[in-house]
Parts: sequence; structure tokens; C-alpha cells
Amino acid sequence: MFKSLNLGVAAVALAVSGAVSAGPLGIGSTATPEMIAGWDIDIRPDGTGLPAGEGSVAEGEGLYEAKCASCHGLFGEGAGRWPVLAGGEGTLDTAHPEKTVGSYWPYASTLWDYIHRAMPYPAPQSLTDDEVYSISAYVLYLNDIVDDDFVANKETFAQVKMPNEPNFYIDDRPDVKNERCFKNCADPKSFKIVTTINGVTPTGHFKEDSGVAANHYQGNPSDANGGAAAPQKVAMSDAATAGKAVYDKACQACHNMGVAGAPKVGDVAGWTDRIKQGMATLNDHAINGYQGANGVMPAKGGNMSLSDDEVKNAVAYMVESSQ
Amino acid sequence: MSSIRIKAKERKGEVDVKCLMKHDMETGLRKDKSGKKIPEHWIQDVTAELNGKAVFSCAFNTSISKDPYLAFAFSGKKGDTLKVSWKDNTGATDSAETQIK
Repeated sequence: MFKSLNLGVAAVALAVSGAVSAGPLGIGSTATPEMIAGWDIDIRPDGTGLPAGEGSVAEGEGLYEAKCASCHGLFGEGAGRWPVLAGGEGTLDTAHPEKTVGSYWPYASTLWDYIHRAMPYPAPQSLTDDEVYSISAYVLYLNDIVDDDFVANKETFAQVKMPNEPNFYIDDRPDVKNERCFKNCADPKSFKIVTTINGVTPTGHFKEDSGVAANHYQGNPSDANGGAAAPQKVAMSDAATAGKAVYDKACQACHNMGVAGAPKVGDVAGWTDRIKQGMATLNDHAINGYQGANGVMPAKGGNMSLSDDEVKNAVAYMVESSQ
Repeated sequence: MSSIRIKAKERKGEVDVKCLMKHDMETGLRKDKSGKKIPEHWIQDVTAELNGKAVFSCAFNTSISKDPYLAFAFSGKKGDTLKVSWKDNTGATDSAETQIK
């Protein structure tokens, strides 16, 4: 059926374009007023576009029960998960807003437009204009917006005021302005990062040695942990320098933030007593694992592919960064 | 406008009644945004009368949803007057009447 319909339309289009060809390429044709009218079916909030005809709530009740209620429910309550049409007043600012025609829609004209354009779901645009008026009126009645003796036509329908209309407004926020400063500008050196969200803000673009990245990960230097020094600033032994790569790969997941009681790199107070135990003990704990009072150190940080020497290098890096 | 909508239809001697009552049906257990309990407010009794004689009644409780939907059937005929009414725990009542179609 659709195929034959398409052929019919194509034949009409060919006939018209044969008569009128427009544009430099000589293809296409100027749309006739009738063609435009076929597409121009939208209804504006002020009622522009509403056709002649009328329908009452009483007529709409029968039509609604026959064509709409199987999905939208007898009272617009919505069968299953089909759209709810009525109710939900006062729920828009709650945890479970219920957006219905009555609780949310700003204009009644949308009702006419949508029913006419797209409903009933299995047979869109099968309703006459009078039927659309009737069903629109009945849906308004289900939402207590009109009385049961309401008769919808071009004039009365355009005058229907929806309860939620005042809550729609033109966005009154100003555009974002990014005007370039030429005089009396703030000194860029005085800018500082006041706060970041740990683990979310990417830090790779910060300059090395600026201290910004280190502060970002290790807290404010003046905090209760005794302060954090940027590890890069300390002159290191060869072992520690070699250990940085291992640290970045295997250790920093915990020792950067102090996860599971791990001493944070750069936290001098946290490391002082540990360093006093001597490198041999620290290396033993790091290689073989250790259960301490504050937390647990898994053997080799849980990464058994590391060699003992690599772990020792990483320990050296952490110790030298934290004293 | 009444808080109750009723549809009553007779078919083969049986009247099929469907009604929707607009009611908050607050259980008294929910809290509002400031943490205060929202007071109980729920329908206790629903009664249907046919020409003034009770044909159906039921007791609701706090497990019934907001805006309750109720359907029931009885033997009857077209043209009779069906009245549905409810009474909630605050003592408020409402009712609506319809002709059986």
C-alpha cells in the first residue's frame, strides 16, 4: 500500500516539475500554496493554525475510551508504562516529578498539535479535526482544567490557560563574557589554585617544579600532616632516581594519597620513625609484606613482577623524598 | 470538582465500575525535606451505593498508592445511580455520583 502511495506522489511531483523548473540547475519546483498547507500543520501557543471545527468533552469521552484509553488509561493514569496524561500536580520539584499535560505542559495548543500529528499511536493523522478537538477537550477535562460542559473550537481552545505556564520563562542568565583585559589587570603571578578535587583534575599540564601538581596530590604544605615537599626538588641518589619509575608504576596508588594507612610520600612526620628502623627493615617490609598498626603493606605492593632491586629502588625514592 | 471520577458500564447484566480517587495517601512514615514527618493522610473506607443501597465497601490502608484506582463489578442495570464515597483518617469525606451507562 505504501509503495503504491509513493509511486502516486512521485508521479504528481514529476508532473509538477515538468511544468515548472526553478533555479540555475533547472531541478525542483516552487512549492504551491496547497503543498505548503499540507506540511504546515503546526499549532502555535496563541492558537495560530487551529482549523475550523469543534468538539465537546462529552463527545471526547467516547472517542478517548475507544482510541486512547487502552494505553493512556481510562482516567489518563497511563496503562503500564505508557505516558500518563493527568495528575501529578505539585510533583515537579519533588524527587519523583510526574510530567503530565496538566502538571507540566505550558500550552494547550500542543495537545491539539500532537494528537492531530501523532495520535493514535498505531494510526497517526487518522482523526478528523472535530475528533481532535473533542479528545483534546476531554484530556483537559481529565486534568480538571476545563469543566465537563466545555466545547472546544478555534476560539475557546486558544483561550485555555495551562496551570504550569507561568513556570516557563525565557532564560534570563547573561551570556558568558570573556573580555580581554588591557589595563589595570590582575597580575597572573598572584593567581593561585584555591581548591581542586583530588583525583579528578588532570595534573599533567602543570609545569614541572611548579609545586602545583605535588600540592594537588599531597595536600596543602601547611596542613596537619607536617607539610609536603615536592619530590622533584630533592637531589637524589641513583637508586632513588631509578626507583621513581617503579614508584609511579606500582607504589603511588597508595603512597600518594595515603590509602590503607600507607605513609604518604613527602610526609616527613609520617616517615621519620619508619626511616629510623633502617633501610634493611624497610626493604624487608616492602619486599615481603608487613602488617603494621596503621595498615598493611602487601609484598612488593602486590605487584610480584617487580624484582627485589626494583622494590629497593622505589623504597629509596620514597625515603629520600620524605626526609 | 469532585476528587472522584467514576465510569460505570452495564454489559450482559453486569455493571463494571472503575474509579479514580485523587488523594495523597500519606502513610505518616515519609519525611519532608526538612526531616519532619509528613502527617498521615489516607483513605480509610470506600463505599459504593446503588440508588442509596450499599453494594460495595472496602477498607483501605497505608499500603494503597497515591491517587488510588479501584475497579469492581456487580449485577445491575443501565440508568441506575451509583454513588461512590470515601472517608479518610482526618474525617474528611468526598463523594461522586454517576448514571450507569
